[in-house]
Amino acid sequence: MEWTREALTKRVYEILRDDLLSVGADFTPRSNLIDAGLDSLAVTQLLLAIEESTGVWVDESLLTEETLASAESLAACVHAQIASA
Amino acid sequence: MPRLPAPDRIPLTGADCFLRAFDSEVRRTAGASHLAQLVLRLGPGLDAGALAKLVAEVAEAQPILRAPIRRRYGLLPPEFRLDLAVRAPMPRVEIHDAPRANGEAPLPPLFAERLNERVDGRRGELFRCDVVRYAGGAAGSDVAFTWLHMLLDGSGSERFVRWLDEVGRGARSAADLRDEAPSDSVGSGARADGEAAMRWRARMRSLAARAPRSLAGPLARVPQRLEVDVATFTREETERIGARARKLAGFLTPMLFYLAASVRAHAAVFALRGIDPRSFVVPLPVNLRAKGAGGAIFGTRVSMLWFQALPELCGDLEGLLGELKAQRLSAIKDGMVEAGAAAMRFARWMPRSAYARMARRTFGGELCSFFFAYTDECLPGMTSFLGAPIRNAFHAPSVPPSPGSGAIFSIREGRLNFSHVRQAGVFSGFELVRFRESLRADLLGADE
Repeated sequence: MEWTREALTKRVYEILRDDLLSVGADFTPRSNLIDAGLDSLAVTQLLLAIEESTGVWVDESLLTEETLASAESLAACVHAQIASA
Repeated sequence: MPRLPAPDRIPLTGADCFLRAFDSEVRRTAGASHLAQLVLRLGPGLDAGALAKLVAEVAEAQPILRAPIRRRYGLLPPEFRLDLAVRAPMPRVEIHDAPRANGEAPLPPLFAERLNERVDGRRGELFRCDVVRYAGGAAGSDVAFTWLHMLLDGSGSERFVRWLDEVGRGARSAADLRDEAPSDSVGSGARADGEAAMRWRARMRSLAARAPRSLAGPLARVPQRLEVDVATFTREETERIGARARKLAGFLTPMLFYLAASVRAHAAVFALRGIDPRSFVVPLPVNLRAKGAGGAIFGTRVSMLWFQALPELCGDLEGLLGELKAQRLSAIKDGMVEAGAAAMRFARWMPRSAYARMARRTFGGELCSFFFAYTDECLPGMTSFLGAPIRNAFHAPSVPPSPGSGAIFSIREGRLNFSHVRQAGVFSGFELVRFRESLRADLLGADE
């Protein structure tokens, strides 16, 4: 499957909302992930879920405060990695 | 359908039972209890009498603070017996006066003494508070909250202090606390738990191929005399340490940087003694609270990830970090966070001394090499407690006589605190100097 940036954003957002975070209806793809409670364990579990969906392991060293700002920015980082793979 | 707990009883979590096993171990070998402590160093403004009244009010409204811990029929998993709390003693609050200002002065020796005490969880002796006032409070106060470790974990204790402050300021009532029931309180999925526990056991056995040594040695039976010192780094140093941690360990896993530095500091002491440590095996607590939820206060909500560092890797900080990062990823991929939690849940049914006996059998008489925790920012965003500015805040959990050493890191308003909790006599004066030199050099870098 070819992953567009929009599809990746949706997938990352769904994993976060449904499986990893305990968040309310106000959680959106632009919500700040650190403020929403994302910690290092949850990020690693997210990366494992992304690998399961896309087959690409995201290099943890690419993750920064900026890339983890929101589901959208994280998906952009993953998309760039998939494009370069 | 699993039976829901009665509202007057709260089952201990698996992690609570894990800590209860340590408590049993400490009582047996050292005559004390396995306690934890959160210390606040405050500026002027604390009304210690009002704090004492507040703790009494809260303990009246929240009986878990003095709930006897008992097994139903002596066999079923242990519970906090809220229904028996009315007969238990109220938490003690003691106010002590000291002449000098606190500032960056050493901690009151009383706080370490509190960690050496023996309390009886079966009678509901779970929580106490000590206030040391300087110049009657005009020059500030130090406050130590000390509790039997299964009542609160590090994160829960910070939530409790925050909540206590809100009640004290009148922002909420003492009864207004909707704590989560333990997520693992009922015994569903026993077979899955059993299988996960066996996977965890296999992992522990694989670590035993190079069983660890602690600096105290196995099965030390000595009266508990814990010493605690807290090194607080400046903001400039903390910035530099933080940048180094991010560069070497990554944005996500700074705790591995502190773990690696702690392993190397212990290795430096083994080298002084000329003893082969065989390997360093260290458990890292992992917070299991739902991410983003208000979160539980009472009960410990953690699993453990176990790391092993071979001495031949300890010569190079970056190489050691690479190994620890690989172990962390592999353990999470293999479901070891969940397996550890399942093993601890399973242990709720075992006699409380069984876990320690099993660990010692597996690790050639040792429990682990040392205790370690990294709790990140302590009381983030909270600038005052009951009207007094918070100058510093940190954790100091007790450590059993063996392994005899605990390294706890946290950050308060841009300053790193390193709490070194150790059993008296485990480090000689010279070894302690070497330990600190090694740690400081690794944290700050060679060109310090």
